[in-house]
Amino acid sequence: MYEKERRLIEAFVGGRMSRRELFAGLGKLGVGAVAARYLLNDAVTSAMAADFDWMKHKGTHLKLLLNKHPYADAMIADIEAFKKLTGMDISYDIFPEDVYFDKVTAALSSKSSQYDCLMTGAYQTWQYGPAGWLVDLNEYINSDNTSSGWDKKDILPNLLASDSWSGKPGDALGGEGAKQWCLPWAFEQYCISYNKRIFDSLKLTPPQHMEDLIEAAVKITKSDNNAYGIGVRGSRSWATIHPGFLSGYVSYGASDFVMKDGHLKAAMNSPEAKKFTELWVKMIQEAGPKNWATYTWYQVGNDLGAGASGMIYDADILGFFQNNGDTKEKGNIGFHDFIANPEAKAPKSNVWIWSLAMSNFSKQKDAAWYFLQWATSKEHDLFGAIKGDMVDPARQSVWDNDDFKSRMGKNKGYLEQFEKTSPGAKIYFTPQPLFFNVTTDWAAALQRMVAKQVPVDEGLDQLADSINKQMEQAGL
Amino acid sequence: MDHTSPLETIFRRVALGVILVFFLFPIFWIVLMSFQTNEQILRIPPRVFFSPTLSNYKALISGELITTVGSLKLTFMHNLWNSFFLSTTSVLVALVLGVPAAYAFARFKFRLGEDIAFTLLSIRFAPPLLILLPLSLLFNEIGLSDTYIGLIWVYQLICLPLIVWIVRGYFEDISPDIEHAYRIDGHSWAQTFFRIAVPLARPGIAAAGLLSFIFAWNNFVFALILGSADKQPVTVGALAFVTAAGISYGQIAAAIVLSILPTLALALYAQRYLVEGLSLGAVKG
Repeated sequence: MYEKERRLIEAFVGGRMSRRELFAGLGKLGVGAVAARYLLNDAVTSAMAADFDWMKHKGTHLKLLLNKHPYADAMIADIEAFKKLTGMDISYDIFPEDVYFDKVTAALSSKSSQYDCLMTGAYQTWQYGPAGWLVDLNEYINSDNTSSGWDKKDILPNLLASDSWSGKPGDALGGEGAKQWCLPWAFEQYCISYNKRIFDSLKLTPPQHMEDLIEAAVKITKSDNNAYGIGVRGSRSWATIHPGFLSGYVSYGASDFVMKDGHLKAAMNSPEAKKFTELWVKMIQEAGPKNWATYTWYQVGNDLGAGASGMIYDADILGFFQNNGDTKEKGNIGFHDFIANPEAKAPKSNVWIWSLAMSNFSKQKDAAWYFLQWATSKEHDLFGAIKGDMVDPARQSVWDNDDFKSRMGKNKGYLEQFEKTSPGAKIYFTPQPLFFNVTTDWAAALQRMVAKQVPVDEGLDQLADSINKQMEQAGL
Repeated sequence: MDHTSPLETIFRRVALGVILVFFLFPIFWIVLMSFQTNEQILRIPPRVFFSPTLSNYKALISGELITTVGSLKLTFMHNLWNSFFLSTTSVLVALVLGVPAAYAFARFKFRLGEDIAFTLLSIRFAPPLLILLPLSLLFNEIGLSDTYIGLIWVYQLICLPLIVWIVRGYFEDISPDIEHAYRIDGHSWAQTFFRIAVPLARPGIAAAGLLSFIFAWNNFVFALILGSADKQPVTVGALAFVTAAGISYGQIAAAIVLSILPTLALALYAQRYLVEGLSLGAVKG
């Protein structure tokens, strides 16, 4: 490599120059974009290898179990860098999201050693971890097998805590004795993604709180924009509860459980919970989609992208994909943080975190840890966030990166909503093994309330009773 | 002499037309979708007239999808091959094992005969997941996990009971006198089976084979649990177009069109046998 090019790349790797400045500089030296990218990847790999023996497990073959997702796509696009850095070979099985967790559960419950590492969410680890199917990664994080460049403090602390749990129902995530069942890779938090075209035509501003949201949503539904006001999920599934619903719910000071005499008691019928749920049900009845009870991630996203809904209260990345994909409303989506409770000072958001875990049945755990280090490293997270669609990345250094900011800045309000929401973004559910049963029943209760089969007050009392019975039967 | 009034004729034709539209419209719409981009498909209201594109088929057949991240590999054609290979081989194995078994159940009375036949049928009643998790442990132990042989073996749970029970009915409908006459001429049971019984039951065997093929083709969960990504059939493969970034409706539609072609071709080819075979089995005289 020529001296001038080398110095430029070293300056970038050392953090003294942005990616844009680097590429401009290389361009002036006559280096084309493809060659520049090659040189850059080469330099990043060399920099990572400088202080750590990445070649320790050279020749080992690892197998991954992945979900078909833009985050996995971004990792696959960078996988050659891992092979070059470590001399390891790697293969992967990639399954569609609809069936992915069935495959994971089957592979882990049958104690198969086929897969070394896998993608997971935190909620799933509440089953997989205490069952002994996953490795507590604290054993590795604090060992000599970890590169000094893998900066634990750079990972957003709320996310790292959300991925760790002691296994004792009701214990705080990330609390004392918590085991790190997986490492955050990239995540989603919940905000308002709105259609700027529709909002401009009705002279609306993004809603600030629940009453405001209902008013704006009703205006959109009644207007001649051929769109309904607000898209939220409604299928009979845990996925209906965890995004906007739970974020608004905790903003009102409500919680799913409280601990009484050493036992978890359902708190879905507390005064705060009833107040918020009344508003939520009213919002769907007056301005939600007609087939709300069938709505999942896909319908909520599609409607926003097709201009069939005025806004959604769901994952920021869902709005991002609609704003940047092959959709009718491409470029028309704006983002805004949301404080559901007008008396609250800052937004609260539940999160979904795509994370990476190590199978306890892997026969090459040390080598698997090398993969986990690389895949959750600053370098790969930055690659995924800039070259792929690995938004929202789990590392603060990526959020501080100028190139990433410049990319996300093209999505109106995205960075601002992230900055305001992320300090209060974490998992707000109480960890306990009946998580999926409880949240599915909760969604079913919401369906009955929206369909006016039962008043909100009565419906929540029934729900709390039913969940308390289930918890009692399970000895919780 | 035709006594049908013109009004009745018109009514019948209209009713037939309505039924045809009811059943064929979803397929027609899927074919139209397969020639559209996602943006065209999601337009409100949907349109019947549009500029067609072959990009969905190109992406599936070439196995390459160009996205913002770069070129991504699609394995749909491999999934299609897996479905074809697994279904065909499983049906062939089930025919080889099942037709003689069906003949034995139809012609001979032996100890525990009915119990064995019913046990075979009862496998069809069990929820697949109930069988699959213990099987998964067993396959890990004996090295059959993630192998085509293991999967073909498990597919017998679908094919074998169908073939045994359907073909048994046909053998029972054929008079044993023809076989007895052939035996008196000095031929063995095996010769009688291959030269008399099987040719006479051919429509029934074809019908049972085709039905088994369709059931095997539509299976979803066996390969999902017991195989890795490179052993997955189209039923799992088609879901790969449903991702967090959105649903690629055009590619799903193209995948459906491509995946129904083999079954459609086989059904058209075997249509005569199928109708004859099914009606023969249904009518006792």
